[in-house]
Amino acid sequence: MLQEVIAFKNTKCECGHQNPVGTVLCEACGRPLEEEDRESTEVLEMRYDGMARRSQRVNPNFIDRIWNFFSSVKIAVYMIILTLIGSMLGSIFPQESTFLNVDPSTYYKDTYGTWGLVYYKLGLTHTYESWWFILLLVMIGASLIICSLDRVLPLYKALTKQRILKHMQFLTRQRVVYQGPVGGTVEDWMKQVSAPIKKKGYRVYTDGNALLAEKYRFSRWGPYVIHIGLIIFLLAVLARGLPGLKMDQHIPFPEGEIKHIPDTSFYLKNEKFTVEYYTQEEMPEEFRNKGKTLPKLFNTQATLYQCTADCDDPTKEPKLEEVTKHNIQVNDPLDYKGLMAYQFDYDMTPILRAVSPSLVDVKTGQDFGKFKLDIRNPQRNYTVGDYSLELKEKYNDFGLDENGKPVTKTPNPNAPAFLFLIKGPDLPAAGVQYIYFPKEIDKERFQQDAINTKLNGGSAPLMLDVKGMENVDFSLSTSYLNIRVDKVMPFIWIGASIVMLGLVLGFYWQHRRIWLRIDDGMLTLGAHTNKNWFGIRREISAILKKMNLDVDEKSMDNGGKNA
Amino acid sequence: MGKSRKKIQIIILLLIVVLGGYAIVSQVSGSGGKPTEGSKAPNFDLLGLDGKAHKLDEYKGKAMVLNFWGTWCGPCVKEMPALQAQWEKWKDQDVVVVGINAGEDKMAVENFVNSVNVNFPILLDPNKDAIAKYGISPLPTTLFVSKDGKINKIHLGQLDLATLDKQIAELVKS
Repeated sequence: MLQEVIAFKNTKCECGHQNPVGTVLCEACGRPLEEEDRESTEVLEMRYDGMARRSQRVNPNFIDRIWNFFSSVKIAVYMIILTLIGSMLGSIFPQESTFLNVDPSTYYKDTYGTWGLVYYKLGLTHTYESWWFILLLVMIGASLIICSLDRVLPLYKALTKQRILKHMQFLTRQRVVYQGPVGGTVEDWMKQVSAPIKKKGYRVYTDGNALLAEKYRFSRWGPYVIHIGLIIFLLAVLARGLPGLKMDQHIPFPEGEIKHIPDTSFYLKNEKFTVEYYTQEEMPEEFRNKGKTLPKLFNTQATLYQCTADCDDPTKEPKLEEVTKHNIQVNDPLDYKGLMAYQFDYDMTPILRAVSPSLVDVKTGQDFGKFKLDIRNPQRNYTVGDYSLELKEKYNDFGLDENGKPVTKTPNPNAPAFLFLIKGPDLPAAGVQYIYFPKEIDKERFQQDAINTKLNGGSAPLMLDVKGMENVDFSLSTSYLNIRVDKVMPFIWIGASIVMLGLVLGFYWQHRRIWLRIDDGMLTLGAHTNKNWFGIRREISAILKKMNLDVDEKSMDNGGKNA
Repeated sequence: MGKSRKKIQIIILLLIVVLGGYAIVSQVSGSGGKPTEGSKAPNFDLLGLDGKAHKLDEYKGKAMVLNFWGTWCGPCVKEMPALQAQWEKWKDQDVVVVGINAGEDKMAVENFVNSVNVNFPILLDPNKDAIAKYGISPLPTTLFVSKDGKINKIHLGQLDLATLDKQIAELVKS
């Protein structure tokens, strides 16, 4: 190839056709163009019908060189092998993305030892998001596009403008060849032979003493259809990184609360969460009476809202509109326009939401009435009967610091405490300070009465008392949902279906061509197919039988690659 | 044939480079999504203690000390006076100190701020949106954001007055 270019070889065929550089067989008559090839009797190389591929240029410049790099099948195979090795490396230890709350910088070392640390340091813990892996995918995509264009265009051209009369050498050097004398006029014989060939499903074109029969040409486009499918598939895989196309997060939804789903305009309310356990009788032997509880069914009654106004304004409450309701169970997610909510986990720890304590006179037991105290967002001032209560301090997780001052230990309402200033009849003008622990357990742990005595220099005359469970508002449980959006999946399926279509096109049909010419009562037949040579020999043998020529299938075999 | 083919070749190659480059950049920067030193500070839109919404954009053109804190976290509480002192010292030189509270309610934050006497802007992040965007894990975390909105430095843990002063001086110079 290269020598030819340097030697400025004339690529004009004796039939008068000017062929581009790199052509193996004349585009018009099929005569081999290389001197040494003409002297050989080997079977012809019929790839792309001997057309020059696009990448075969006289003086490749910089752009051509890039083009040639990507149009090489060898390079494509190497890239695929590298990608496979990369994928394998990525599957040695679990990827970072499989964990919800793990600090990868310590996790891998602690779990897998030194190898884990090496694995993490090499960045293999996020193989599939790494620049080199994506680069390989992009390069495979480029190779698919360029390889296809490089080959499909010449092939298309070769197959759409085929000359019927082919050079003698082109026929005698096919893998299926027959030569023998025939009687009658050329015209009659050609007409006669057309009928059985057409019966086999061939399209027949005649030109004087030559005939071309062809069928199932579309099978040749199979590989390129596969490539188109793969390109769509790859694009879809790469598009996953784009914002809004893919989301995957795990969010806790306490019962009875409307919660915003981040990065969307949706809000979801867990109306009620129920879990049903297996009874001891239903359990298998090895679990029975071991004190194990196995959940049988969890169910989140969910309502999905969409925000219609004031969504991103932190100073206003968003306006919500209910869009759908669904009972979410395992394998039965809520699905709204591609937003999916899967049941993932649950937590049966109750969370205190609000209490409605009554203000009571300690001595007489007189009840002045009750007020509602929201644990998370309490009001500052309350009025109960003739008394006013001002909320002075609030601690979500009450504790004392090293100086004995009250602080909150965490932002979670584990041990909520409220410091009120109560004013009203029979109380000192400055009011009475009163600390209140809504949870009974905290009352005792932190000695509410002792603190109040200390605050006022004597026991408080009033107290807050929750009279019954009806005055306590709990969120009984928390349901963890996996919220997912995957708008890319349909394209993955489309790509995969196109690949399948291409495979079927290429596998179940074969492109078959038969060339005939009659010179001085001598018939020369050459045939080519891209696979299943046995089939085409059989067909030709049957056709020739109809013409009263008894030709053995095997005898037509002209050798060639493992024929 | 030759000319138009060359054009098509170049267009295809360019498309591949652009799309491929975009895919690589978006995947690599999009995964984890944690801003690092040198990257652009993510936007936020949070309610301040003043009852108004505050966005990152309104501090554009100013050097910014962005402090993530909570009332329950000892070191955060301890560094508050240092932040307040630096706020007073630098505020006339286009430096703004902003505190973002991690997930507590207005009342708890208000009470706390009043008791420690700080008056730089304090924003509330009840749903921890900004916390997630900035990928904050330990508290306190302080980010020094330059005038063009780039993160100059991320400091994990408690700051003392001297370090803070040095960082802000550097920030103003940058």
